[in-house]
Amino acid sequence: MSLAIPNGLDNTVERPGERAPLVLGETDYHEITETVCQVAERKPSTSWVIGFLVSFALLQWLGICILYLIYTGVGVWGNRSPIFWGWPIVNFVFWVGIGHAGTLISAILFLFRQEWRTSINRAAEAMTIFAVACAGTFPGIHVGRAWLAFWLAPYPSLNLWMWPQFRSPLLWDVFAVSTYGTVSLLFWYMGMVPDLATFRDRSKNKWRRMAYGILSLGWSGSSRHWMRYEKAYALLAALAAPLVLSVNTIVSFDFAVSQVPGWHTTIFPPYFVAGAIFSGFAMVLTLMIPSRKMLGLEKLITIRHLDNMCKIILATGSMVGLAYGTEFFIAWYGQVQEEKFAFINRAFGPYWWAYWTMVTCNVISPQLFWVKKFRTTPWIIFIITIFVNIGMWFERFVIVVTSLSRDYVPSAWAYFSPTWVDWSMLIGSFGLFMTLFLLFCRLMPVINMAETKSTLAKQIHLEEHGYGNH
Amino acid sequence: MSENNEKKVHGIVAEYTSVDSLLNACRRVRDAGYKKTDAFAPFAVHGIEKALGIKPTVLPWIVFGCGAVGAIVGLTMQIWMNSIDYPYIISGKPMISLPAFIPVAYELTILFAAFGAFFGMWALNGLPRFSNPIFTDPRFDRVTDDRFFLYIDAKDEQFDEAGVRQLFGDTGTEYIQTVVDDDSSSKVPKGFFIAWAAVIGLSVIPVLVVLKMRLTKSSLPRFHVFFDMDFSPAKDAQQTTTLFADGRAMRPDVAGTVARGDMLIDMDYMTGIDMEALTQVDARRAERLVRSFADPSPQQEGEQPPVADTEETSAPAEKTAEETGVQEEATGETESAAPAAAPSVMDTTPWLTQNPLPLNKQLLERGQTYFGIYCSVCHGLNGGGNGLVNRRAQKILATNWIPPSKLNQPTLAQDVYPDGKLFNTISNGIRKMPGYAAQITTRDRWAIVAYVRALQQSQNASINEVPAAEREAILKQQAEVKKQLEEQAAAEAAQANAEPGDN
Ligand code: HEC
Repeated sequence: MSLAIPNGLDNTVERPGERAPLVLGETDYHEITETVCQVAERKPSTSWVIGFLVSFALLQWLGICILYLIYTGVGVWGNRSPIFWGWPIVNFVFWVGIGHAGTLISAILFLFRQEWRTSINRAAEAMTIFAVACAGTFPGIHVGRAWLAFWLAPYPSLNLWMWPQFRSPLLWDVFAVSTYGTVSLLFWYMGMVPDLATFRDRSKNKWRRMAYGILSLGWSGSSRHWMRYEKAYALLAALAAPLVLSVNTIVSFDFAVSQVPGWHTTIFPPYFVAGAIFSGFAMVLTLMIPSRKMLGLEKLITIRHLDNMCKIILATGSMVGLAYGTEFFIAWYGQVQEEKFAFINRAFGPYWWAYWTMVTCNVISPQLFWVKKFRTTPWIIFIITIFVNIGMWFERFVIVVTSLSRDYVPSAWAYFSPTWVDWSMLIGSFGLFMTLFLLFCRLMPVINMAETKSTLAKQIHLEEHGYGNH
Repeated sequence: MSENNEKKVHGIVAEYTSVDSLLNACRRVRDAGYKKTDAFAPFAVHGIEKALGIKPTVLPWIVFGCGAVGAIVGLTMQIWMNSIDYPYIISGKPMISLPAFIPVAYELTILFAAFGAFFGMWALNGLPRFSNPIFTDPRFDRVTDDRFFLYIDAKDEQFDEAGVRQLFGDTGTEYIQTVVDDDSSSKVPKGFFIAWAAVIGLSVIPVLVVLKMRLTKSSLPRFHVFFDMDFSPAKDAQQTTTLFADGRAMRPDVAGTVARGDMLIDMDYMTGIDMEALTQVDARRAERLVRSFADPSPQQEGEQPPVADTEETSAPAEKTAEETGVQEEATGETESAAPAAAPSVMDTTPWLTQNPLPLNKQLLERGQTYFGIYCSVCHGLNGGGNGLVNRRAQKILATNWIPPSKLNQPTLAQDVYPDGKLFNTISNGIRKMPGYAAQITTRDRWAIVAYVRALQQSQNASINEVPAAEREAILKQQAEVKKQLEEQAAAEAAQANAEPGDN
């Protein structure tokens, strides 16, 4: 069952009539199992331990800041009249956006039969869930009296005798983000069950075996189970695909349904969705490039995977750039004075630095990916994706803060300045994200072994029976 | 394998190392007529359904059903909550505003369908199932790694151990094993139960505490987990603060603030009454009047003062409305009922005879503007009493309509109807006419008085009163207008003659 690699180690070259291999140098299924399981089974590396300790410390700091916020009140943030949506909402939209890549990779690429997704989807899905957890934190504490956040739920209250206001985009948002979080979690967990069974079957330790045994629900690999499982997976993918698109659409409604100049635009839903995919892929790459190296997964997460993701970044980055341009065009073409002012103020007002940071990072830097060399050199990709992450955070900052800081009455205008709590919470949210991600790397199968094996099976099949017979 | 014979046999399993050999074996087994078979693999092997003859699943229908339930639940929930149980209108949208209900219904559709797919799949697969006889063989652990297994159940009609082994042997397998009952202890470790009980027990405690607090009465002060807005952080008088540079919690008045009752009041100017003279004839009324301006607190009259519109006069002027207006109304009635009664206060009041403001063009123009705004709708632009309101009223309720007075009638001339009285009429209204103190500032009311006087004069003037230089032009214009009017009348008459046939 030895497997020749048609294009040598460079699987980014397209040869007519051949499919570039998505798994490099693997000779059999067992080696895939070994490669993936060693990540969790070997002793944690020093870099993992250091990374975990730092992230965990930041997470603790986030927790302390949240307690301080709840104890003192939202005045500890830089949110001041008229900028009531400061960094918390910026961070919320930022993290929700990041949470889009995972389900997009898993669901939409699955539906389009993009098989290269198999070795990255698990980690990307995990990122989605962790990013949604970060995102959910912010509106939860932004409501002011965080201990009453459950009022958002439509439950029969004996104190209030009333219901949430379903005509408000803010409530739509609650439903959209929580549905997204739930469905992504189900999707992720379901995809993991066969691999958890692998972990179970490899465990030597009784307790470990029992824990993975419970998590894998008694999975036996029966082909009847596999058939229903595959069906359920396809159905969940088909459900998750429109869901991904709806979530950032609804997040954009939070802005677009209001009357604030600079927010009240119909382009927001597609623009937010493109931006979300853009930032999500950037974050996936930022995490994937160091971790594939540290976890020894270079043969499964190949340069071709990076290359493909860079192309998506290039496409969505250009869409985002187009959206920025369109916004300006419509502001001019619409001839609404407030709208025109809002956009001129965005680019040339007191926040010009934020605006041009955003344009540089989001529109200009991804254009470098036209060059194949940049798409296939990990450290360059890493740097560019960091820029994209920064740019996308600034995009949300520009949208939220520039529009709000210019109220209708000039006497109410203000300039936003963040406090140390704002900074701490932004950094702390990365602590939460990284803690969860690093734990995931140690405890869960980071790569979808079952799917990778079936990709390999197809590769073997093609090898043995020749191309073109299918 | 004979030592396993005393245990219950579940079936026989054979191991394969590649997809192709598994698929071949599956086909052989299917063709041999076995029904209760199953294959086990580390990933979903395509084509195995056909090779084993597995029927498609009903899962899509379950998902569809769940999705439909989600959509219905989403819509009815929102309609019931926002339109029926607690109906309220938001941004003028209809009670059942479907477009606004779509996002949540959409999300719930997906959520329910996803639950259907997830839980439905596990339920159909009969999972979770932690104890499975097939797991008894340690070699089977490799099914989640790199091995493929084919299994024939002992419940199959054709099952016979030797025959199955024979068949498997022909398919090129290297390992055949009988699956027997799991003889390991089925007891769950004790620690598991203890941990479980501990978690349940601990999580119930807070719920019980909250329930007890909610359901029982206590004479102790409320227990505040969160202070919400129960304790106001407002400062008391004389306290200090760090919020302001001067450290005072009590803030000084904004520059230019006038405390109520502190304003210097020229009573004659405010009321249109010669107060000195009034004090002589009716000291009590004069005093009441002054008090109502100086201290506008409502308890005096037992009635709230209406909303004031201008800083200086409105509230006090409104008081005057109570003072004079009420009495005047009463007298008005007495007058009509019993003409012989004592003279009305309106006649005995010593009104100012002169407008206290210096007469100049500016004042008259101001008066003209305000007359145009406030009076002309009823009294007409020329004061003739035929404003738009009157014309409309004549049309629709001609019988009981009291027309606005002609302002140029002799009874309103300056000598019989002093300026102060006219000012009072504007401020407080008279009989059917409402007062305007709340809308028009004192100064502007005096300006209107001046303008009404000019109007009266213009309506009753003769050509001789016009400056000689202007006379000719006026006469010419008069003749022109007269001619136009005649022509118009003639045209109307002609039309009227032509039309009767139509009616
Ligand atoms: C809503 C219609 C209306 C408006 C506006 C109005 N009036 Fe009158 N006015 C009347 C009516 C009706 C009367 C006659 C009341 C009656 O005889 O009961 C009247 C009477 C008068 C009289 C005669 C009072 C008397 O003692 O006989 C004067 C003077 C007068 N109005 C002046 C004004 C002036 C000046 C204004 C503008 C500030 C004004 N009115 C605005 C309806 C109006």
